[in-house]
Amino acid sequence: MPGQLVQIITSPDPAVRNQSLDAFCHAATLPDLLVECAELERFRRRSENLYERVRALFFLYAIHRFHLPLKPGMGTQTLIPFNGYTHLLERRFEEAIAAFLKVQNRDGPSDPVSSALAVTYYRLAIQTLANQVRSSVRSVRGNQWMFRMGHPADHPLRIRREMLRTGEDGSYPILRERTPVRMDLTHCGWSDIFFLGMDYPEGAKVLNVSIDLGVHGRDTGTRPPVETYLRVIDEPLLRLTSVDLGATADITSLADVFDFAKDYLGLLKAAIIASGIVPPGVEGSGQSLADLLACVAGAGRGLELVSCVNGIPKGSRLAVSTNLLASMISLCMRATGQAASLQGALQEDERRLVLARAILGEWLGGSGGGWQDSGGVWPGIKLIEGVLAAEGDSEFGISRGRLMPQHRILDATEASPAARRKLQDSLVLVHGGMAQNVGPILEMVTEKYLLRSGAGWQARSGMLVILDEILSALRHEDVAALGGATTRNFSGPIQTIIPWATNLFTETIIQRVQGEFGKNFLGFWMLGGMSGGGMGFIFDAAHKVKGQTRLQELMSQTKRELEHALPFAMEPVVYDFAINEQGTWADMLHGPAALLPLGYYALIMPQLLRQEAYKLPPLRRTELDKFGAACRAKPELRGMVQTLFDRLLPRLKTDNAGEASLPALLERYGFDRTQHEQIRADLKGGRIGLAQNRLPISTQIQNVTDGDVFDATRELSKEYRDAGLAALKAGEVAVVTLAAGAGSRWTQGAGTVKALHPFCKLGGRHRTFLETHLAKSRRIGKLAGHPLAHIITTSYVSHQPTEEFLAREKFYGYDGPLFLSEGRSVGLRLIPMERDLRFMWEELPQQILDEQAQKVRDSLRHALIEWAKQAGEGSDYTDNVPLQCLHPVGHWFEIPNLLRNGTLARLLKERPHLKHLMLHNIDTVGADVDPATLGLHLKLGGCLSFEVITRRIEDRGGGLARVNGKARLVEGLAMPREEDEFALSYYNSNTCWIDVEKMLAAFQLTRADLADANKVTDAVRTLALKLPTYVTLKDVKKRWGHGQEDIFPVAQFEKLWTDMTALPEINCQYIAVPRLRGQQLKDQSHLDGWLRDGSAAYVESLCEWK
Amino acid sequence: MAARLLCSLSANHEDNITCPAGRPAVKIRKAVITAAGRNQRNLPLQTLVDRDGQSKSALTILLEEVLQAGIEEIGVVICPGDQGAFAAGAGPYANRVQFIEQAAPLGYGHAVACARKFTGDESFMLLVGDHLYVSKNKDSCARQLLEIASAEACAVSAVQATHESKLPYYGAVGARRLPGRAGLYQVDRVLEKPTPTVAEQKLIVPGLRAGHYLCFFGMHVLTSGIMDILQQLVATAGEAGGVHLADALIKVAESERYLACELQGRRYDIGVQYGLLTAQLALALHGKDRDEVLTLLLELLAQT
Repeated sequence: MPGQLVQIITSPDPAVRNQSLDAFCHAATLPDLLVECAELERFRRRSENLYERVRALFFLYAIHRFHLPLKPGMGTQTLIPFNGYTHLLERRFEEAIAAFLKVQNRDGPSDPVSSALAVTYYRLAIQTLANQVRSSVRSVRGNQWMFRMGHPADHPLRIRREMLRTGEDGSYPILRERTPVRMDLTHCGWSDIFFLGMDYPEGAKVLNVSIDLGVHGRDTGTRPPVETYLRVIDEPLLRLTSVDLGATADITSLADVFDFAKDYLGLLKAAIIASGIVPPGVEGSGQSLADLLACVAGAGRGLELVSCVNGIPKGSRLAVSTNLLASMISLCMRATGQAASLQGALQEDERRLVLARAILGEWLGGSGGGWQDSGGVWPGIKLIEGVLAAEGDSEFGISRGRLMPQHRILDATEASPAARRKLQDSLVLVHGGMAQNVGPILEMVTEKYLLRSGAGWQARSGMLVILDEILSALRHEDVAALGGATTRNFSGPIQTIIPWATNLFTETIIQRVQGEFGKNFLGFWMLGGMSGGGMGFIFDAAHKVKGQTRLQELMSQTKRELEHALPFAMEPVVYDFAINEQGTWADMLHGPAALLPLGYYALIMPQLLRQEAYKLPPLRRTELDKFGAACRAKPELRGMVQTLFDRLLPRLKTDNAGEASLPALLERYGFDRTQHEQIRADLKGGRIGLAQNRLPISTQIQNVTDGDVFDATRELSKEYRDAGLAALKAGEVAVVTLAAGAGSRWTQGAGTVKALHPFCKLGGRHRTFLETHLAKSRRIGKLAGHPLAHIITTSYVSHQPTEEFLAREKFYGYDGPLFLSEGRSVGLRLIPMERDLRFMWEELPQQILDEQAQKVRDSLRHALIEWAKQAGEGSDYTDNVPLQCLHPVGHWFEIPNLLRNGTLARLLKERPHLKHLMLHNIDTVGADVDPATLGLHLKLGGCLSFEVITRRIEDRGGGLARVNGKARLVEGLAMPREEDEFALSYYNSNTCWIDVEKMLAAFQLTRADLADANKVTDAVRTLALKLPTYVTLKDVKKRWGHGQEDIFPVAQFEKLWTDMTALPEINCQYIAVPRLRGQQLKDQSHLDGWLRDGSAAYVESLCEWK
Repeated sequence: MAARLLCSLSANHEDNITCPAGRPAVKIRKAVITAAGRNQRNLPLQTLVDRDGQSKSALTILLEEVLQAGIEEIGVVICPGDQGAFAAGAGPYANRVQFIEQAAPLGYGHAVACARKFTGDESFMLLVGDHLYVSKNKDSCARQLLEIASAEACAVSAVQATHESKLPYYGAVGARRLPGRAGLYQVDRVLEKPTPTVAEQKLIVPGLRAGHYLCFFGMHVLTSGIMDILQQLVATAGEAGGVHLADALIKVAESERYLACELQGRRYDIGVQYGLLTAQLALALHGKDRDEVLTLLLELLAQT
């Protein structure tokens, strides 16, 4: 019966409403699903209920993404319309859907168009939810006026008189707020995500504890980690200082207040705005900040806001930044009379408003976690729960739940002092040091909740039972039971909902702790969105001290083992913690005691001391005097003189890193200085660049015809398979895995080795890309009757880590010949040209983000352009650790490297019958030496046979085309026009079968020549000259402070193997292979879909694990 | 404290008006004008031209408004030593005014409490000395308020819908409309100079424009019960002072029937920047010299 899915969405009966989509779709035929899609499309357009619309959108997404592609009868070669793609990028989702549906209706259902529809429905669903949260945040009472106020003359806030009472020296008092952070005692299954809480308030429950922290071994004790300070100053500006980020700025214009990414002060600016001092309504008004401040604080006056988190590292999963934001908002609200309590604790209604404002502030800053994150504002242990929307609530009639949850602070009957003490005495909190982006996790959780997959829904229900168990354990002061419950939660429901919540690092540590402490290890406890950063280990109280010591050692050891495989932002730390029973707390500092944190003075004083005293405003001079007196009198300031001395007279930057220094690395990796200077000169001179990568505009780009591609998407005949198998048995084939790249996109430029990333659990445990590829070769080797030879190409970034990693893993038990082919080429990154940055961000089609996130991104891009100009466009990029300044020069060089470094010669010696290589990318995990495809390559008889797949919307970056009449692969960088790519049916998988003899001939070499290094080098250089050099911009991370990371775009160059297809003397053939074989894993956010759409199961079927 | 309705405390029952709820109407005979604010003590003595074209002090204009509304006795709360100046400022009504000194500046609530002896156990009208009122109809603002308070037989504060940008200057109330009674509200809560953050949460009144709140008009009729409350607040605050009338009104709202009413008129605060000028123009434009003043304004505009 058509419309069954609509019935699932609209049914008042929970048993029907909570049915799984997957169960229905598995049984449905293609026509059934198309009918259901049409009905869902009509339904989502007519429904006025937010969640009905959103659930219908997620259903449509899931059907197009996971179910339709598996149904027989789906087309594969339909072209995705470029106008739809453009609409999608510009967030005109309805127009994009209309464009895609028009093609579907005209050409029939197809995999490419379904991929486009899936992503469009998904983004529209997320956008719809985000719009609702934004609307709810704005309509919270107490927030509304801030969006109405558009002129300073209408500003209704006044600084409290207490803030204006000057001391004897004329200085204003300081209002200080100290705020604990929060830990989530239950892991709530991410049920505090706004979307989830607003649809399923009954299931949105969190047990949240406010805690003080200290870094074990560094700090003398625990204290509220967040400290914020506010005072009036005698200058008409906003002075913002982040002590931990070492950033300070005098803000004199309203536009700069709203420029979040200009500096490191975005969070402080968000607090100033969300607290109403500079209300969001004045953004873009063109009014004067000084006038506005005059209204609030008096003519000629301004405000100074200082933040400090006492060196607590980023990524702690303790919501440090949200509590910092909340602390600053609370401070500003107190100072402007929006909270009755100037000092001490806040009242409950004030805390709730701080929460609402913090949600607003996070939205303004383009980020946002869940509603439990401001938990540090409340005291002690509290149960936070979603609330059903009732008449009078702004959400009533729109969503089932309210945006704002309710907080119930547990009393002594629910968590006795003894229970609290036991918890403190047993739990070891740590930061594993991993850098993670949990943003995609939150979207995944929302999606899975709305799709109600059977296991996921059961897991969510199971979590509520575990919450009750934890509450009961607290009531009974039973820490062991608590540990048991959190461990079960982690291994069960959490990973059922989000498999990516765990990783090899976390599991290794748990395993080692378990092995070492046995029954005295009471449980593991995951904090926040993912493990690997903030985590908790529960020990028998008698073993806690040892647990702290050993955890530090175990984490450091495990990090050392995995630091090239997984991105770490910092060295692991162990915390000391204590439950904070006060919540956020403010006090006023007067007279000599009115000092800001020490780090503030270390930052500010050098600037002041460099200025003539008479040029300083009176209060700055007073500040100098006061601080000088404090340094003389206070023992805790004894080291300040030395600190200031070091800041004023910085030490000469000495390069004592020995071999690891940049010049040493360049020397070691054979850096070609002459070539580099030529490239730099060409880049600066505008002869090369992003725009110059493109083929001439007059180039004719057409789709290939049937005769250009051999279709191997269906099972090939036995003839091919037999031929391939024979070649395998004769030892004619080896595999080359390209593993020299840094996988910039995979980890946003973290500089780890993608090949070593334990990306997914396959066969019951985490597997690296390398292990997966070797497992496929192992299976094929068995088929061939002898082990397959396998070459792994490496580079300066990956060689040593790969070598060590493989040795530690005992080469994954691979019993065939296994070679590492070390890279012989390295480039030095360059500061990008403004021209190229603008080309990338302004000329190329870009995915526009949600309104506020886009503003932040624009601001960041403006800042990065300024950085490039200031640092010197086109100059060498050296402001990072040396390895991050180098770059691999493209995968074209990895084949010549086999010739130059002797790997091929050695292989030929060992396998004299070798005739063919199968070359593939590290992330083409479905590629193997399939006998039938090999047989086809043999039959086609070309020098190179490239495997291509039909295109989906995410397959960007060129494709197979007829270029001026000749079939070849064209990189996305080289496409003359963006829309050309959308006329191409096939995307390059970069898996390439190579006939060794013919390839050597293309280099004008023979097998015998491989022994002649000079001849090989000349041959490589000669061929290289025929191939284009592309300039690319890549992200590179720079790490600093306590877990902070900045991402910079840097220019580098590369030559690509696919351009071999452009050489007329090389016979290239093209084979269309099944998508599961040819698709690549470029981005970690694709992993979840990859796991669910059958891709992972396909790869497992190819592997034989040791 | 048990609810003490104004009706039962009023000593004089001259009218036979019946309250809507069956309560007998009351007569309010006394008014208290506060003029002891340290920064505003000279404001009531400023000279303006009244609607009748006569030059008078602001205090005189206020006294006339109150007396013409039917008030018989007036107490003016002043700073010590100001009596001579205020007696002169009261002009022909000096003999009908009783001056009450506020010995120490302990807040507006304290100033009102200083008049306790004067008001006795009667209900009274309370006005601030730095406001002038211009009615839009034949009855003055004071008369409008007195009539409502008499009829309702309870405490009534005059209020005016005020934009949130003016909240830093006024007390404000959270209230519900009385069904079928235009411009009358049941007061639930009172806040002194609230921020819009608080006002949005606690003082929303259905029917008002967005961003508008019912702020005090500077004119109230209060029962004698307020004096008891103020007395307690003064005793608690001691020398620290800072006694706000709003704090006492909160307790009134909790313990008595307490209404707010929107009057047909406007208040003019002569203490704010250009406040005196604005008040003067308002008086002139509502008086016999309206045409002349309009002509002057137009000429002024044409020349600038």
